[in-house]
Amino acid sequence: MTASLLSKSLLRRDAAVSPEALIRLLVLLAGMALLVVGLLFPLFAMLVKSVQDRSGDFIGLANFIRYFQTPALVNSIANSLSVALMATVTVVSLAFVCAYGITRTCMPGKRLFRMLAILPILAPSLLPAISLVYLFGNQGFLRDVLAGHSIYGPIGIVMGMSFWIFPHALMLLTTALTNSDARLYEAAEALGTPKWRTFLTITLPGVRYGLISCLFVVFTLAITDFGVPKIIGGQFSVLATDVYRQVVGQQNFQMGAVVSVILLLPAVLSFIVDRWIQRRQVAQLSARAVPWQPTPSPLRDWTFALLCYTVAGIILLVIGTAVYASLIQFWPYNLSFTLQHYTFQGLGGGGWGAWFNSLKLAFSVALIGTLVIFFNAWLIEKSEGYRPLRQGLHFMAMLPMAVPGMVLGLAYIFFFNQAGNPLNWLYGTMAILVLNTLVHFYTVCHLTSVTALKQLDPEFEAVGASLKVPFWTTFSRVTLPVSLPAVLDISVYLFVNAMTTVSAVVFLYNSDTRLASVAVLHLDEAGYFSSAAAMAVLIFLTSLVVKLLHSALTHVLLNNAQRWRQAG
Amino acid sequence: MQTTMTSLLAADSPTVMTPITPHLHIEAVTKKFGSFTALDIISLTINEGEFVCFLGPSGCGKTTLLRTIAGLSQQTSGKLIQRGIDVSTLPPQARDFGIVFQSYALFPNLTVFNNVAYGLRNRRADRARINYRVTELLALVNLSGSEHKYPAALSGGQQQRVALARALATEPGLLLLDEPLSALDARVRGHLRSQIKALQARLGVTTIMVTHDQEEALTMADRIVVMNHGVIEQVGTPAEIYHQPASAFVASFIGTMNFLDVTVNSADQVTLAAKPLTCQPHHNMPLGETARLAVRPEAIALTQQQQGLSGEVIDIEFLGAFQRVTLRLTGADQTLLADVPSRDSTSLSLYVGQTLGIHIPAEAARLYPVGSDHL
Repeated sequence: MTASLLSKSLLRRDAAVSPEALIRLLVLLAGMALLVVGLLFPLFAMLVKSVQDRSGDFIGLANFIRYFQTPALVNSIANSLSVALMATVTVVSLAFVCAYGITRTCMPGKRLFRMLAILPILAPSLLPAISLVYLFGNQGFLRDVLAGHSIYGPIGIVMGMSFWIFPHALMLLTTALTNSDARLYEAAEALGTPKWRTFLTITLPGVRYGLISCLFVVFTLAITDFGVPKIIGGQFSVLATDVYRQVVGQQNFQMGAVVSVILLLPAVLSFIVDRWIQRRQVAQLSARAVPWQPTPSPLRDWTFALLCYTVAGIILLVIGTAVYASLIQFWPYNLSFTLQHYTFQGLGGGGWGAWFNSLKLAFSVALIGTLVIFFNAWLIEKSEGYRPLRQGLHFMAMLPMAVPGMVLGLAYIFFFNQAGNPLNWLYGTMAILVLNTLVHFYTVCHLTSVTALKQLDPEFEAVGASLKVPFWTTFSRVTLPVSLPAVLDISVYLFVNAMTTVSAVVFLYNSDTRLASVAVLHLDEAGYFSSAAAMAVLIFLTSLVVKLLHSALTHVLLNNAQRWRQAG
Repeated sequence: MQTTMTSLLAADSPTVMTPITPHLHIEAVTKKFGSFTALDIISLTINEGEFVCFLGPSGCGKTTLLRTIAGLSQQTSGKLIQRGIDVSTLPPQARDFGIVFQSYALFPNLTVFNNVAYGLRNRRADRARINYRVTELLALVNLSGSEHKYPAALSGGQQQRVALARALATEPGLLLLDEPLSALDARVRGHLRSQIKALQARLGVTTIMVTHDQEEALTMADRIVVMNHGVIEQVGTPAEIYHQPASAFVASFIGTMNFLDVTVNSADQVTLAAKPLTCQPHHNMPLGETARLAVRPEAIALTQQQQGLSGEVIDIEFLGAFQRVTLRLTGADQTLLADVPSRDSTSLSLYVGQTLGIHIPAEAARLYPVGSDHL
């Protein structure tokens, strides 16, 4: 709708459009259409649903009023805020210490630690929750550590969230702490500044934007997470589980929409703050900055090594517990080794079929998503003309970050399941899962693409045009090969997320398109804890293998196939 | 505006002996970025085989004009006619030009051979022909043997020459050079300057080069287009630009220039420091008013005689081939630079505090109105 209006006005301006420009315009419009259909229309349908009654009549804010009059529902807001805040404080402080260890000390084994620290990203958020039940649950072998408190509730939720959000925070803070200017530290040292004062006046101000940005990202991830509270929340309900309960449990779609709107608010807020910070962060570090290199200091180095390896140990313990739980007969009564939990026989949830579906989804999203997102980013970044359209597409590409998975999934039901919708046939197919996952994780891939493209010479396209080479040739012969490392990063990011996500797709699968992550949820609900653990481990291992392949491929590319990167 | 520009061109045209074929007509081209006018009704004709330099300070619009000619940036109004065809609205792909950018924009993942062959591949020329052409081009820019190297393995000057070969590969009718030498160090720059000029003369390809380096423009161009604030200040041969600057801006931008406050007495008479002085005849400068007299330091002769204009030496700068003497005019609070060739300086036995006679030849003294734009 908006797009067609735009195109009309644009076409008028450049009356003499060449075939190439026309193709560019069409692809831009297609990219716009993808995000309009895959994001804006569903969100709009959801907003509409939240002000309707069951029969579809407009009732104003009656649903919202009813929501705020139901204590069981309103309590979730405070619950969500409190666990999200606790998880944020835990994750950010731990991640800061570890990131400091990586960037500002000479602690041994940095590479190994970074590899271990990334592991939680490869598992669905359901995995730590399952492990925590084995560790601290009623039969758990570390139950006494909790001194009588139950793991089912806020404690478990905060622990589980902290586990899977930790790598995100670590990556953000490592990047922030890497950007240092040695000249400032040398100046401070020359002036006889004590170490603590150097930290307060140089280190902290230097990372303040990265730190604030990290706080908001972590908070958003925590407040919108569904997997952990679903498994380990017990009676402690949060907004994300409320959406699920209202829709799947009580078939109350209107109330589901209301909770979704409320869940959307903190995410949108932190999105706005993050954008605002990103804008201020520009050019904080001048091009002439000299990176700071740590010098060995045994006491400091070993202290940080100890802290980091404790964290790594916990990560290994949590993953190891899930692996162990999936390999024994029946905890805690029969500890003999078995592979039977990996057969998933006679259990609902889809078993290996679900795993295969997940694989299909992950490969499709990785392939289609990488091409679509990177090509769109290229059009936005590197083409002349259609400026409003390109800016509009860039803005649209930033939006998915602000939409929690639960909200997006529910919005898809409302939009695609409408009787009159011509896209209704998509509902219940693999295609809708691909579309949903692609849109869900669009933003990070888009930003990665834009960053990579900004590093290229701005005149490549102009040279191609002057040599009468069509733009797609320059794209495929130059831009794509040169940006290959970033493109591979994007594809593996999409693969892993498609493999592990549960929040959005939990509303969208049908009996033919069950996914492994959803199977974990159902196996756990049905009380097949070992099989749930087995499925979670399977997802983890799949992601791990793909990630390792990616690393190997990148290594080979940079060292052999892309010899041109080295001078001489 | 357009007619004055054209008549000016006709008068200034250097190639009177050979029939002049115009290659490119720029007709009243205007480019606006929001409220900022980058090009203000630019009209210009570039002839076949000519080497033209767009010269001006940064932000004067020279690069915008080049990009407009290439179609990389669309003019707000005005026309571009190339070899009789209106190319005003054509995309870059449909125009006939080759371009070398300041950054060279060599494709880092392609070898030198593939970079140069990039535009040939598309024309579906057969392999043998491509090989032949690339070899020929690389020989032309003295890079034979580097076919299989990647750009990262080449020096700046070599990369520049690869970019040139790539731009010439498709035999464009018009070669555009966007500050092609500014990223290189001084020695390489001097060498490449003559190489590019020789190459251009040999191939006879019409060439437009954008530069902010006046020395580059003076040594390479057949004609120079001096630009400032989005308008053309002057079009002319290097000698015309240097010796007969059309405005105070051109006078101050090219080379070193003394500007002295004088009073206008008649069509070719002024008063400087209470002394009468003859200058180039001027038009419409009100008599009895102040004006600015422009003289090149090297045109000034210093003498031991002290009748007429004189001044006190307040600084002597050694610049190798000559010495630059700063003098304060006797009877006026004005300073002036004079260049004394090293072999003459001994006869003058220059020292600070000395008073010397100053001779300003009439043919080297030009008048400009007060307050006109200069650097």
